[in-house]
Amino acid sequence: MYKKILTAVNEHLNSEVTAKYAVNLARITGAKLYLCFVAEQEMTAATISRAEEAIKRIFLEAGKTGIEIEALTETGDPVRKIGEIVRREEIDIVFASTRREDIERRFFAGTVARRLSINLPCSVALVRIAHTGRMRPKEILIPLKARIDHIEERVYFTAKIAQAFGSEVFIFHSPEAVSKFFHGEIHLTPIEWEEKLPKDITDFVGHLRRYDIAHAGRSVPGSIGRMITIEAFSKRHDLIIMGASQRSMLSSILRGNPVEEVLRNTPCDLIILKPRYEG
Amino acid sequence: MKIHNLTREEVLHTLVTSENGLSEEEAERRLSEFGFNEIKEAKKKPLYLRFFKQFTHFLAILLWIATVMSFLSEYLHPGEGMLTLGIAIAAVIFINAIFTFIQEYRAEKALEELKKLLPFYVKVLRDGKEKEIYARDVVHGDVILLSEGDKVPADARLIETSGLRVNNAPLTGESEPMLRRHEAYEGEFIESPNIVFAGTAVVSGSGRAVSFATGMQTEFGRIAHLTGAVEAGLSPLQKEIVKATRVIAVIAAMAGVFFFLIGFLIGRSFWSNFIFAIGITVALIPEGMLPTVTLALAMGSQRMAKRKALIKTLTSVETLGSVTVICTDKTGTITQNKMAVTKVWAVDGAEKTRESLLRTAYLCNNARFIEGQYRGDPTEVALLRAARETTGDFKGERIAEIPFDSDRKMMTTVYKMQDTGFMIQDEKNRASFVSFTKGAMESVLPLCSHLLIDGKEAPMDETIRKRISDEYHSMMDKGLRVLAFAYKEIEESYKFPPSAGSPEAKEVKSEKLGNSEFESDLTFAGLAGLEDPPRPEVPEAIRKCHEAGIKVIMITGDASRTAAAIAKEIGLVKANPVVIEGNEFIRMNDKELREKLSEKEVIFARMTPKHKMRVVSILKEEGEVVAVTGDGVNDAPALKKADIGIAMGISGTDVAKEASDMVLLDDNFATIVNAVEEGRTVYENIKKFLTYIFASNIPEAVPYLAFILLKIPLPLTIIQILAVDLGTDMLPALALGAEKPMPGIMKQPPRKLQERLLNFSLMRRAYLFLGPIEAAACMFGFFYVMFNGGWRWGEMPSPDNILYMQATTACLTAIIITQIANVFACRSSRESVFSIGFFSNRLIFLGIAVELLLQLFIVYHPWGNKIFGTYPISLSAWLVLIPFAVFLLFADEARKRIRIFSP
Repeated sequence: MYKKILTAVNEHLNSEVTAKYAVNLARITGAKLYLCFVAEQEMTAATISRAEEAIKRIFLEAGKTGIEIEALTETGDPVRKIGEIVRREEIDIVFASTRREDIERRFFAGTVARRLSINLPCSVALVRIAHTGRMRPKEILIPLKARIDHIEERVYFTAKIAQAFGSEVFIFHSPEAVSKFFHGEIHLTPIEWEEKLPKDITDFVGHLRRYDIAHAGRSVPGSIGRMITIEAFSKRHDLIIMGASQRSMLSSILRGNPVEEVLRNTPCDLIILKPRYEG
Repeated sequence: MKIHNLTREEVLHTLVTSENGLSEEEAERRLSEFGFNEIKEAKKKPLYLRFFKQFTHFLAILLWIATVMSFLSEYLHPGEGMLTLGIAIAAVIFINAIFTFIQEYRAEKALEELKKLLPFYVKVLRDGKEKEIYARDVVHGDVILLSEGDKVPADARLIETSGLRVNNAPLTGESEPMLRRHEAYEGEFIESPNIVFAGTAVVSGSGRAVSFATGMQTEFGRIAHLTGAVEAGLSPLQKEIVKATRVIAVIAAMAGVFFFLIGFLIGRSFWSNFIFAIGITVALIPEGMLPTVTLALAMGSQRMAKRKALIKTLTSVETLGSVTVICTDKTGTITQNKMAVTKVWAVDGAEKTRESLLRTAYLCNNARFIEGQYRGDPTEVALLRAARETTGDFKGERIAEIPFDSDRKMMTTVYKMQDTGFMIQDEKNRASFVSFTKGAMESVLPLCSHLLIDGKEAPMDETIRKRISDEYHSMMDKGLRVLAFAYKEIEESYKFPPSAGSPEAKEVKSEKLGNSEFESDLTFAGLAGLEDPPRPEVPEAIRKCHEAGIKVIMITGDASRTAAAIAKEIGLVKANPVVIEGNEFIRMNDKELREKLSEKEVIFARMTPKHKMRVVSILKEEGEVVAVTGDGVNDAPALKKADIGIAMGISGTDVAKEASDMVLLDDNFATIVNAVEEGRTVYENIKKFLTYIFASNIPEAVPYLAFILLKIPLPLTIIQILAVDLGTDMLPALALGAEKPMPGIMKQPPRKLQERLLNFSLMRRAYLFLGPIEAAACMFGFFYVMFNGGWRWGEMPSPDNILYMQATTACLTAIIITQIANVFACRSSRESVFSIGFFSNRLIFLGIAVELLLQLFIVYHPWGNKIFGTYPISLSAWLVLIPFAVFLLFADEARKRIRIFSP
């Protein structure tokens, strides 16, 4: 599915750690890896030099895995330049690290991460690096909602990341609590929740089984973002892979935004995947 | 692969840092990337929004509609008293909101206590220079300098250590300092000796570590997040109140609409119909319910405090009564935490060998006897006490120590013997140095090649090993914590590393000392069994739990045999309980654990507090109402998750106390059971006063029915209804909340989740039995005054007509008089009030006295007349109503005898 993977590198440590996910995905899928640094106009020579050093380090590290690598350095607006490269090189997926502003600004409004996620004509994996002590995730938490788009690509991405690191996958679903007017909230046991598992999640698990990935899972009702972070904190998961939010700004204001909440509170690295692969 | 698996060079490479630390510029960049190293509170609903929510639930909305309509009526038809009504209903909304908020409110201070465990300043290397910075400025890749007394600011990987020992108690609960090393480690990350965690403290030695997780991403942040974000959810009582108010609101609204339509059909005017609809709605809503419940809970919490259980959240009072599972610690809660050596066993049974064992116990010990008091870890204190009392004091010169660590499960000390006069074998063969080892038998015995027989060393063989092993198991089966002791004479020619022998560094790193030298080829001295006796009240408390259908799960760090033996001794388990050990627990998936937890008797052995939250979560997912005990910092998430988190008042940390719902002032398990009994009593008492309150709804509603159906003047005004619901009924209802536990309350199983507070039997007794008697009384009172005053059927006096006002006053008085009998009837649902002791609840009489005084004020004081639209009535009007009260009491006594309408 992924033949060409691009990872955006800059002067920050988190872009270097993000690149490791891209390197491992390229290694397991046999894809070609593009290391891309876009120097912005106002950048100092020292900053550019730091980013170039980072590219060198990643290049050397990735080179040991035997994958095909190409390093690109451009000047200009990062979103526009990466967009051009994606179109030119027919990139399948772009990895980019989130920045502090993505966490602090509500709904990522106007951030580079959000612009990349909206504008690029390929899949985008936004990575938030939270914990630099867990280089190879052993347990990956996959929060799923009832309706999932691009199931095949999501499963493929999850399975390949899990294969690359030899990880186990834990599927987590946080449905709305069942309640009746006169009875209030009705308690359901895990087995009863399992019986109510939405079809898309069952399909996701079915696809995952094809890749022979060790997996488990559970459903816990509650506020989605809060339940995901509690699950990640309590079970010490090493990585979370979740879909990008599809809630509108208004809906986010009224109902909250689980992705934003997890992005802000994640105890481990987080990949927000926006799949575009249609083929 | 994680950071602890890497070599020092790989660590520096991975975190893109160097031995000289980060540059200031890079540190600043990383600070902007990762943010401050600080504990942040999980985002929660602000207090004002939580208060605002009390005004927007279903019942409140219904009352708001009534308020708005009352004001609208006042605007369109002034002078009909609708303004007063509107204000009164709005006041009811506010009163209910305030009391519900008081029930739910709880000051969250656990995070404040957690923050106190983190340092303010920290030493780091920046640009190769030592620098003191704010701990919140520590970033990934910073090289942190650690020395004795420092608190660790972030999770960091050690790259250099020198006798570094840290106290990991906030994370693991183990108070024993742990030796830290800097070499790569292959085991579990959380147990890795090359990691130092934020919030822990350096006890001795020094080291350098590279930070890899800061703020909320540290293990400490994990505890903070879970403590802040985890919520137990609504308490069983809160859920029941939500359901009850919805039922009541719907009944009241439907009654209002139904009778409005009937009135419309029989041709009454819109406005008289409207007043009627509002009136019947107000009559059917028990306005005093929520304040009474809140006050009853507050009284329950005071009673619990007298029984040494301090309640922090009001609703927890009742939740305790619903508990179906109690997960309890062993040490200090079930047992007395007074460890004592009760058995010293040597293979040959010789006194001399036993003395050698006790000397080993004395010298391989970090407890101290200072100023007539023993100080140190309870196990070590017990060993020191036994040794001192048997063989006296020794003054050895300790030159080295290989500290206890949880991987090796043993410790070793090395003494220089020549100056001490201490003799292991005999004077002639006195050695220069002797090492003493104590620890778990499975760790110590394999290291022994000899044993002491009659004061002489003999080779160890498999038969003896088996004998030792059998004795070990036999001692554990008696509930003893068993330790093995061994020693080794070191040849005089042995060269100690410089640090080991130096007086200022008696404690050395095991790897430098070469622990294989001191912890091999040992001479086995024997076994010592230590007992922490159960508290005397515990077996009775456990028996009560069993009778009350409450499952008790013991969670202990002890070995499984010891735990099972103690559990048997206190009657917690019988023949073959399910015993789950910590390492087995970690390997189990949720499904397997769920199956094990469904067994009748379950014990968790060799567990650490961090596992408690998983046990609690699974039990809750299965629908259990869970109470859990805890005392450590890392117990906080489990305490928050449980329906009732119980912290230890004596041994508990401030974090645990702040995260809990209840604090045991005496750390005693029996106190939990007492609190459960109080909780069950509170629930029963709430049902009693609900019956009492609901019964008065019928005499409040019937006058409205009569008003619309019989076309008579309204016998009871809305403001008079509120006088009953929010005035005269309150104190007697509260007095019912103070009823003592009924005999047998702890012999019933916990109430089922499906069981309603406002169940059909309760409503049937209140609405169809007690209420109609009261309604008959109030209608009789009304007509008695009206007819005696010369009223003719069909006449409609004006609202300020004296006769009419006297009649409504009589109607109100009838309710008060019959409610006095009702309060006695409601003291029990099944037992005769005379059998439970007519005078056993003095508060009832106080409540009645206040009720009567209020009524006298309403009837005879001009202010009372003005506010409630009443007028003084004659004594005869009171007297004719008394038979109704007597009838109500004895009719209910008869009902109890023939057991009908029993809730």
